[in-house]
Amino acid sequence: MEDGRPIFLQIAELLENSILDGTFPEESQVPSTNELAAFHRINPATAAKGVNTLVDDGTLYKKRGIGMFVSSGARAKLRGRRRDEFARQYVRPLLTEARKLGIEPAELKSMIDTWEEGR
Amino acid sequence: MNRAFTVARLQFVGWRSVVGWPWGILALSFLINVALFSAMNEADDFEPSTGGLMSIYVVMFVASVNAITQDFPFALGLGVSRRSFYLGNVLHFAGQAISYAAVLYLLAVIEEATDGWGVNLTFFGLPFLMVDNPVLRFLGFALPFLLLGFIGIAIGLVFKRWGINGLLMLSTVALAGIGGLVVLATWQGWWSAIGGWFADQPGWAMLVGWPALLTLLLAGLSYLTIRRATP
Amino acid sequence: MSAVVTVTELTKRYRGVTALDGVSFSLAENRIHGLLGRNGAGKTTLMQILTAQNFATSGEISVFGQHPYENEQVLSRISFIKESQTYPSHLRVTHVLRAARLVYPGWDEEFAQRLVDVFQLPRGRNVRKLSRGMLSALGIVVGLASRAPLTFFDEPYLGLDAVARQIFYDHLLADYTEHPRTIVLSTHLIDEVSDLIEHVLLIDRGRLLLDVEAEALRGQVVTVSGPVAAVDEFSRTGTELHRASLGGTARVTVRGDFGPAAHDRARSLGLDLEASSLQDIVVRLTTSQNGHATGSAAAADKKEAVR
Repeated sequence: MEDGRPIFLQIAELLENSILDGTFPEESQVPSTNELAAFHRINPATAAKGVNTLVDDGTLYKKRGIGMFVSSGARAKLRGRRRDEFARQYVRPLLTEARKLGIEPAELKSMIDTWEEGR
Repeated sequence: MNRAFTVARLQFVGWRSVVGWPWGILALSFLINVALFSAMNEADDFEPSTGGLMSIYVVMFVASVNAITQDFPFALGLGVSRRSFYLGNVLHFAGQAISYAAVLYLLAVIEEATDGWGVNLTFFGLPFLMVDNPVLRFLGFALPFLLLGFIGIAIGLVFKRWGINGLLMLSTVALAGIGGLVVLATWQGWWSAIGGWFADQPGWAMLVGWPALLTLLLAGLSYLTIRRATP
Repeated sequence: MSAVVTVTELTKRYRGVTALDGVSFSLAENRIHGLLGRNGAGKTTLMQILTAQNFATSGEISVFGQHPYENEQVLSRISFIKESQTYPSHLRVTHVLRAARLVYPGWDEEFAQRLVDVFQLPRGRNVRKLSRGMLSALGIVVGLASRAPLTFFDEPYLGLDAVARQIFYDHLLADYTEHPRTIVLSTHLIDEVSDLIEHVLLIDRGRLLLDVEAEALRGQVVTVSGPVAAVDEFSRTGTELHRASLGGTARVTVRGDFGPAAHDRARSLGLDLEASSLQDIVVRLTTSQNGHATGSAAAADKKEAVR
C-alpha cells in the first residue's frame, strides 16, 4: 500500500476502480475482507473499514452469511461522483500550473485538442 | 499445583540428558574402578572404598545450578510463575532423589551379595552409610541429592540476582565466617568440646537429621529469593 | 471493546536510570498493536513488567483484569517472545516445541510443525548449535503456535533475512485473521509492519509519545515545501516538527489534522505537499524537540481517535 494516506481509503478506492472498469459488475460478489487483507498484506480490520465505507454509501451491500455484493446502480453513481472530483483533482492543478507559466485558458484548450487528435 | 506438575514434566522433556548424564558418569566411574580392582586383586584383607559414588551427586549438583541459570529464564519465558517453577523443580528433584536412591540402595545390596562384584570393590556401600535400619540407609542415599540440589539452587539464585559479584561476596563471607570460627575455636580451646558434640550425636542425626534440617532451611530461603528473581 | 492491558502511571527506575517514566495506556482486545521506539527506549522493560518478569518501581498494571505477578491464570494466557530468549543448553528444537506444547493451553501442534517446515528448522539440532536466525525462527514458531490470547513479539527477527521476515508477517497476519487475539509487535523495522498494525504506541526515552490508531496517524503528518511565507501560512495550522530552509524556500514537517481540504489549501498556496510514512513520523517525533512537547497533544489525539 502507498504510505502516508489512510489504507482503508485506498482499499475503498481500489474496489471503486474495479467496479468502474467492470471487473466487478453490479450484483457480483467482491472479495472478502480476509482475502483483501491477505492479498494486500494489511490488517483485516483496516480492510473491513475500507469495505464498510462502501457499504455505508450504498455501493456495496451485505448478503448475510454469503458476502459483499455490488449494488445495482453503483457504477453510475460512482461515475457521477468521480466526475465531480475530476475537476478538483485534475483541472484545478492544471489551471494553477498553466497560470504560473502564463498559458491562457484559450491556449490551454487548443493544447488539449491537439493532444486529443494526436492520440 | 497442576502447573507445578507441568513444570516437573517440562524439566523432563530432554530426559535423555537429564537421566543420561548422572548415570552415564556414574557407570563410567564404576567401570574404571572395577577394571582397577580386578587388576590389583591380590591383597585379600584390603577393602578400600572409592569416592566414585560422589560423581552422581556432583552431576546432580551441577544440574540444580543449571535449573536456575538456564531453565528458570526458559520457564518464565513460557509463562510459568516463579512459585510453579520452584514447586515443579522440588518435585523434579525429589522424584529423582527417591528413584536414584532406590537404585543405589539396590546396587549396594547386590555389591554386598557378590563380594564387591567379585573383585572386592566397595563402590556403592560406603562405610559411613552402613546402618542397619533400611529406612535410614535409604535416606542416607536420598538426602544428599536433595541437600546438594538445594545448595545448587541457592548458588544459582545468588548468581541470578546479584551476579558474579554476589557469588564472590557470598564465598568471601562464607570463607571469612568459617575461618573466623576456626580461629575462635582454636583460641578458646573449643575443639575437644566440638569433637565431643559430634561424637555424641546419634548416627541417624548425622546421616539424616542435620542434612534434612539444612535442606529445609535452604529450601525456605531459596523460595523467598526466587519470588523476587528476574530471569 | 474491552481492554486486555491497562497501564497507569507506570515508572521503572534502575539505579539512577529511568527506563519508564509515568506511562499510561490501554490495549484493546484482539488487535495488532505496534510498540515502536528506538533501542533503549523502554519497550522491552515495559513488556517484561507486563509479563511479570520484571517489577515496576511505581504505577499500576492490569492484564486480563488482574495483576500478572505469580498469577497463573493470567500468565498461562501470555506468550512473550523476545530476541534475548535463552534455552537450556541440553535441549533440541523438538524439545523446545514439546515444552511449549506442555505449557500453552491453546497450542496448535500441526501449525507448529508446518511453521518448522516453512522456516526449515532442523528438528534434531541442539539449540546451542542453531544460528541466530534459526533461534529467532524458533521463537516465532513458539509465539505463533501458542495462540496465546496475549502475544508479545519483542524484535523477534534478529538474524532473519527479508524473505524469512516476510514469511513471519504473512503467517502472523493469516493466523491472526483466523484466530483473532491481542498481539503486541515491538519493532524498529517500522516500514515492514506499518500495514499490519492497527494501533501505534511510540515510546521514547521512557515516555509515551504516541497512543493512536495507525489509520488516524496516516496523513496526520505532512511535509510541505515552497516559499517561506506560504509555508509559514500553511504550518500555522499544526505543530511544526522539523524545518529546513534554503534561501527563500522552506521545507517543514507539520503534524495536524490534514484531510483532503488541507491538500487543496496547500495547492492553492502553491506548495508541494507530501504525506509522511509511519516510519517518517516516528523518526520526526523521536528526533524533534517538539516531539516530547506533543506528548500531551498525543494524549488528546488518542481520545479523539479512540472516541
